[in-house]
Order: sequence, then structure tokens, then C-alpha cells
Amino acid sequence: MLKRKMLRDLKENKLAYIACLVIIAIGLMIFTSVSMVMENLYSARDIFYEEARFADGFARVNSMPAGDINRLSDIEGVSEIEGRLVKDVRVLFPGSERNVYLRLVSLPEGKSSPINTPVLIEGAPLSEKSRNLWVCPSFFEAQNFELGYEIPLLIEGRSIPFAIVGTAQSPEFVYAMRTAQEMYPMPETFGIGYLPFSMMKTLFQERDQVNDLVFLLEPGYSYEEVEERLKPRLGRYGLISIFSREDQMSHAILTMELQGLEGSSTAMPILFLGIAGVILYILLMRMVEQQRGQIGTLKAFGYTGRELLFHYLSYALILGFIGGMVGGLLGIWLSFPYTEMYRDFFQLPGLESTFSLKYLVLGILLSLFFSVLAGYFGCRNSLKLQPAEAMRPPAPPPARRTWLERWDFFWNLLTVQGKMSVRNLFRNKQRSFFTLIGVMFAFSMMAVTWYFNSIVDILIYDQFEKVQTHNVRVTFSRPLSLKEVERELRRLPGMKRVEPIVEVPVTLKHRWQEKDTIIMGLGEDAFLYNILTDQGERISPPERGIILTERLSDELNAPVGTELTLESYWIRESRSVKVVDVIPQYLGTNAYMEINALNKYLGHGSLATSALLAVEDDSIPFFRERYLNAQPVASIEESGALIEKFNELMESFGAMQYIFTVFGFIIGFAIIYNSSIVSLSERKRELASLKVMGMTSGEVLQVLTFEQWLVSLSGMLVGIPFTIVLMNAMSRAFESDLYSIPVQTEGQFFMMAFLGTAFSILIAQWTIAKRISQLSLVEVLKERD
Amino acid sequence: MKVILEGKGLSKWYQMGEVRVEALRSVDFEIYEGEFAVVLGPSGSGKSTMLNIIGGMDQVSQGELYYLKEPLHTANEKQLTRYRRSSVGFIFQFYNLMPNLTALENVLLASEIADRPLNAQDILDEVGLGDRKDHFPSQLSGGEQQRVAVARAIVKNPDILLCDEPTGALDFTTGIQVLKLLKKFQQEYQKTVMVITHNAGIADMADRVFQMRDGKIAAVHNVELPVSPEEVSW
Repeated sequence: MLKRKMLRDLKENKLAYIACLVIIAIGLMIFTSVSMVMENLYSARDIFYEEARFADGFARVNSMPAGDINRLSDIEGVSEIEGRLVKDVRVLFPGSERNVYLRLVSLPEGKSSPINTPVLIEGAPLSEKSRNLWVCPSFFEAQNFELGYEIPLLIEGRSIPFAIVGTAQSPEFVYAMRTAQEMYPMPETFGIGYLPFSMMKTLFQERDQVNDLVFLLEPGYSYEEVEERLKPRLGRYGLISIFSREDQMSHAILTMELQGLEGSSTAMPILFLGIAGVILYILLMRMVEQQRGQIGTLKAFGYTGRELLFHYLSYALILGFIGGMVGGLLGIWLSFPYTEMYRDFFQLPGLESTFSLKYLVLGILLSLFFSVLAGYFGCRNSLKLQPAEAMRPPAPPPARRTWLERWDFFWNLLTVQGKMSVRNLFRNKQRSFFTLIGVMFAFSMMAVTWYFNSIVDILIYDQFEKVQTHNVRVTFSRPLSLKEVERELRRLPGMKRVEPIVEVPVTLKHRWQEKDTIIMGLGEDAFLYNILTDQGERISPPERGIILTERLSDELNAPVGTELTLESYWIRESRSVKVVDVIPQYLGTNAYMEINALNKYLGHGSLATSALLAVEDDSIPFFRERYLNAQPVASIEESGALIEKFNELMESFGAMQYIFTVFGFIIGFAIIYNSSIVSLSERKRELASLKVMGMTSGEVLQVLTFEQWLVSLSGMLVGIPFTIVLMNAMSRAFESDLYSIPVQTEGQFFMMAFLGTAFSILIAQWTIAKRISQLSLVEVLKERD
Repeated sequence: MKVILEGKGLSKWYQMGEVRVEALRSVDFEIYEGEFAVVLGPSGSGKSTMLNIIGGMDQVSQGELYYLKEPLHTANEKQLTRYRRSSVGFIFQFYNLMPNLTALENVLLASEIADRPLNAQDILDEVGLGDRKDHFPSQLSGGEQQRVAVARAIVKNPDILLCDEPTGALDFTTGIQVLKLLKKFQQEYQKTVMVITHNAGIADMADRVFQMRDGKIAAVHNVELPVSPEEVSW
């Protein structure tokens, strides 16, 4: 019978319980789907890394005889080391001027499973005799290739056709980007190709030289120890960089993503379940209070306290179970498209979603734990009541003056309804507090979401409107004479401005900190690439000393005035350089110097590695045609195309933003709706009396809403510092060498969050307004207190 | 005498599941301006229903009801609110004060929404609670709470005071105090007071008594010499 009572009770307040259920389900949906995706990613990654023998360390050198490599395997801690050729080449599509690049990676011959083995996905093995290659599957798909297609590659200025005989995936290029600046794999313009070493070395006329090393560690050795031993041995081959698996681009991004998922798979469900728990707690506590008479009666005819506690707990159990079940199943369902989405980003063979009961069960347990906890605290009072006591109405709530009343000015400002609201707010301190916290979360969730939305615009706007003001960038395949570059490019029709630049890979050191980065040498009057201070003012590149980006300065612990040690394969000996300025920069981390000063510093004469150009738009096609296939030109990039790609990427972010806004909205609604329902049931009589006295429904509603607005506005106010804390935490979590996220506290996102939260509150109040106008005066007043 | 309220063939029935409960069966009455009317009857006789309908808290099922010739039976929710706000004062058996407002604030709450309110402090003095004005309901006795309720009803300066068992929850002495206040209001302000009760003793102080039974007015009689509240006994 008690079961039937429960079902009817639930039905009576269905919207409040449904709101609670929805929040539980959202929490569990996030938990299940994120956990499953995470597990899918982890297991696909681990299996793939294992199977493909993913390297522990990587090194890039200028040139090294293949024969010298075997000697390196003697180094203590190195279990295996292999050399290879890695070169970027252009793919020439007949009749197309698209810039498409292929990174060619040589495969050692006579070794069945080399380090970073590309796993053949489809097609045939490579032959050493004919010109054939494998490409990565994402590239293959994006270019609409078919097996057997021949693609012409531009190698050393010549077009050479290659047949695609298969697709293969290496653990090194799970997240394949051409440069770190791209942020996002673009298989339309960049792919990986694999071919036998013997073929590659002949094509590039490299004899027996390699330019890239990969190695595996012996168990028990750390990368750092090995790096220390290996580094001096590579110096003579022109060591460009040496880094561990942790710093390998593809792996680093995958790891970052997994860490992000791990964070959201714990934080988000706890947030949602916590809020649902609070709502449940308040609902049950109220119900137990309201049903004292019933509890007394039940006890009087022999139900034990434990039976009653279980009865009230079962409300929580039912909600927890249904919420967990619905959320879990939704999460499992969601994990399929979610994993599918990751397949677009991360090329992990074997990455697929499998139906797993583990997280469903875990999720339901988690949800039951939260709801039973909330339920227990909500209804333990039912146990304490003695039957006779329970059947008497509770003592009238004692009212007290609040401290706010001491501020006469404020107090006199309030109408009597306002005074009622304020006292009531303090009467239910705990409930007001929970409401405040709930509104704070809703507000901050929306604020952070809107913030990230707006910040992306700032990033892109800053980068392309203020920093990189050129519209074309030409990168050379080897350093060229600065004077010749200028002379050659300046005379072209439609050319407005030419600014040659030098980009040098270096290692900067300060005490024990060190950091690999790029120094960009810019002309003193550089106009197409601007160095901006935090005030947005343009400063000239320094002739003495170096400018660091904020992140670089932080990582090296090197404020203005610090002497840094600079190493580069461009110079023999390390030299020292002084930090003269630190600037904020959100995309990429690097350092700046004046181009002539940098060239002098390097001592190879006046060189340029790229040129930034301002070209008339209608001259660009001519320009492309002239230089695209020129041997000294490695690539030609147009800014417009880049901005477009950024925007595309951001759109997919956009969808997430809306989902989170909706979540914030649901929380705001549920919190206020629940608080209204509870107030309404508790104060039905009071509100009805007001109506009898002649107040309109609107005026009566104000008594409730004034109180809610007071709490909600305080919640939003507290939400502002909370949002800033969240933003800082997230900005730190997301920060990487690729980009950093500025924390700005001004902007319209607080306004948007305020509007969003206020709207969710208004909707909740609107549903309550209907109830108040339907409040039957006769019935309410007929009931005894 | 001027008729302030007039009911013609008033009926009220409630649908309780499959049973139709008839609370009022075609009742006719006239209430005069400035009189002290008592509606007497056992519980279930329909007297509370009548009060609710007169007070604009409930709609009739059939019949006509006029307040100063204005029809109330066809009034919409907005008009009824208007009517309750300016013309009627209510006093209940269980006071129905706002628990988190002080005595004075409870009275002010009513005066704020009235068109021509009396002075709240004066009225509170008049019901003898001037010195308890800053007390909350939980700090007042039942009799004191009911006196606040009376003050709250009077302060709006209504034309009619409707009282539903105003002494029902009080002991004899405090009950008499409340009755004195009601009488005083009727005489000093020349207002209509209508008291609903099953307590026959109160009928002695009325100008007219309506006897109700089974949803009908069984009898109406004029009291020749109403006694003063002090002489009422039960």
C-alpha cells in the first residue's frame, strides 16, 4: 500500500521530480558517455602503440650517415634505434592550384616491424622496385583517392608520379598536423606517405643519409637519462631537436584530450548529481514535514520507523535508479556518435564504441549513492517523530528579526511584501543557501561557455586582423639570400609590400629550465606581422636582446632583464641573449628579434626563410602560378583560407557551447522551480490569505519572486568571482605551446550569462504563476493548520 | 433600510467524485447596511459556503448575488479581487496571520493595498495591542493573534466584515474581547458585520439571525433588543 502512496505522491509533484530526474540523467549521461569514449580511446591507443611499437624518443638532425646509427644502439638505455628520412613534398594535382602536402616517411627495409610501424589498413605491401607508396587513411579519404591511383609529387623540383598501393596508419600521426600552428588536422591539405628507404634516398639524392631518428628505451630507463647520453653524440650531425614521446605532437594532443575527458568524466557528473541531490533533499524534507500527520497515523497503527524511513528513501531510490538508468542508456547511445566524432580527429585503428554494461552499472550505483545520501538526510526526521507528536501540527515557525533590519535605510525601502521575503529567506537559511549555490552554478556554466565562445573570436581576430596582417606567406625550402628575395618578389605586379623574415629553431635555457622554440626575425619596420603589447600597442623587434611571449617567459621563469642561453644547430656555440620585453600571445609560443640582428647573431649572412606579402587580391593567382612549382618554394599560404578553416573548427566547438548553455538553463530552471514548489506547498495558506485580503495573483507571486530574485541575484554576484576562478583553472588546463587562453573579465559574456540565468528563472516562475492563480481559496482555508 | 447584499436563488454544489454534494439550495436573503447579522447553524449546514460566496472567494453554481446592485455572480477573477480588496474584510477561526511579519506589519500589509485605509497604528491601539506591535505571531497568544486579525480586516476600511467562527479557537474571555471589537466596529464606523458561527450564544448580540439547515435558510428573525457583548454567554 505504501508503494501506491509513493506513486501518487510522485505524481502530484511530477514536474519537480522530473526536473530532478533530468539533472540526474544529464549527469549520468555525461559520466557514461565520456567514460566510455575515454576507455575506447585509451584501449585503442594502448593496443595500437603496442602493436605498432610507438617510439619513446625522437630526434631530428640535419644529416647523418645511416651506417652511424647502429653505433648509437650501444648507448645505455637504448634498446633500439632507427634512422629514416622525413620530408615534406607537394602533391601536384593536374589543373589544380591547391596547396596539398605529403609528409614522406621512409620505412627501413628488411625489417618486419620497425619502430612506428605503419599498420596497413587496406591494400598491398610496398614494393621496392616500383614507385609506390602508402598514404594515411584520412588523407586517402579526403582526397577521394582509390587504390592504384597515381599522384605526382614535386620532389627536388621534378614531378614524379607515385602509385598508391595501400593505406597505413602510424602511431606517430594519430593526430596529423603539418605544423603546430594549424591546431587541427586538415587531411584536405596534408597527409602522410610511407615508402621504402631505398626509393626515398635515391629520389632525394641523399645517398645513405637520414635526417630523423626514433628510438625505444630499455625497461627501467627514463627518457631524460637517455637524452643526456644521446644528445652529445648527435651534435656533429646537426641536431635540430630531440624530444620524448610526451612532447611528440600527436601523442601530446591525444594525451591532452584524454586528460580533458578524464576531468569532465568526474567533475561534470559530480556537479550535476550534487545539484540533483540538493533538490531531492529539499523535496523530501518538505514532504516529510508536510506528511507528519500521515507519518503519525502510520506509526500509530504499527509501522516501524525503519519501514517509514525506507518508504521515504524509496522515493530517492526510484529517482536515482530511473535517472541512472535513463542517463546511462542515453550515455551509451551517445558514446557511439561521440566516438565516431573522435575518429575524425584521431586516426586510431580499432577505435570504436562497444556496448559496455560496466559504466551503466557503475553509473547507476553512483546515482543511487547520491540520491540515497540526499534522501537519507532529507527524511531522517521522519524517524524521530513520536506518533502523538507527529499527528499534531508542527509548532508555528518562529520568526525573528534579521540583521538586515538594522540598516534602516534599506529596510524602509522595502514594501511589507519585501520584508516578508527577506525574513523568509533568513528563516530557511539552508534552503536559500542551496538555491544560491545552484544559481551560481547555472550562471557560471553559462558565463564560462559564453566566454569561450567569445574568446575564440578574440583569438582569431587578434591573430589575423592585428598580428598577421599579410595575406600571403611564402615559405622557402631552404634559407635564401634576403636581398635576392626582396628583389625577386618586389617587382611582381600587384605586390604592395614584401617583408622577408627568418625563423630559427632554437633551444632557450635559463638555469635548469629549457624550452625548444622558434625565434622569428622581423624587419624593424615590419608591418605585415606585428608584435603587440598587452595594451595592443605595436612595438618594434629589438636590435639588442629578445622578446618572449608570456608563456615562454613563464616556463623559463625569465622576466624582463633575464640573460638566457641560446642554442641552435645554426650556430656552433651557445650564446647568451637578454630578455628585453614580454608580450601576451595566444596562438603559438615563440620569441622575436630584429632580422638583421638575428642574422648577425647566427653568422650566416643575410638570410630569409619565409616572406610575408601584401598582394593585390587579383594578382594572387598569377603569383601562385609563377612560384608554386618553383624549387626554392616549399609552400604558399593564403591567410583567407586559414581563417576559414579556423572558423570551421570553431563551429564544431559552437555546438558544445549550446549544449552547455542548455544544461545551465536546466539547472537554473530546476533550482528555482523546486524552490518555488516547496515554498508554495509550505506557504499555501499564507498566500491564500493574501489573496483573500484582496491581493491579485501577481502581487502574491511577487512575495515569492522577490525572495527568489534576491537569492538569485546574490547567486549571480557570487558567480562572477567563481566564474573567474573557473576560467583561470580552465585556461591553465587548456594552455599549451599551441595556444593559450587569455582570461578577461570584461565583456558581454557576463551579461549573456545573466540574461540566460534570468530567463530560466522567469520560465520557472511563470509555471508557478499559473499555480498561484489557480490556488483555490476555499479549499486552502478550509484545511486546518 | 438600504440593502448592501442580496442573494436570489443561490445554489452551490460540488462534484465529489461521482457524488454531487449540494451545499446551498436556492437561498434568498438580503443583508442591510450597518447591521450585525449572525448566521447560525450546525456544521455542514452550508453557512461557510454562503460566507465564501458572499466574500467573493467562490463562485455560485446557480442564482444571483448583488453587492450594492452590482452583480457578483457574473464577476470575473479580476473583479472579485477588486471586490475583496476594497469592500470586504475577513476574519477567520485560525487567524491566518503572516508568521514572519510583526503585528504592525501584518496590519500594514493590508493597509498598503486598500484604497482608503485607516491608520494602522491607531487601529492596533484600538484593539489594545499598541504595545505589542513589534511582536511576531508566534510571540502572541491566540486572543492577541485574533485581535491582530481583526485590526488587519478593519484597517482596509471595508464596507462589510465577514467573520468565520471568529471565537471558535478562543477561550470564553478572549472570545468576548474579540466580539466587543466587532461590535465597536459596527457601531463606530457604521459598517456591516456578518458573523458565521454554530455558537447560539453569539446570536443574542445580533440585529438579525439567520438559521441555516441542510443548505437552506430555515428561519430569519429580528432581535428586538440585542445584548452587549459583555452579556453574551455560552
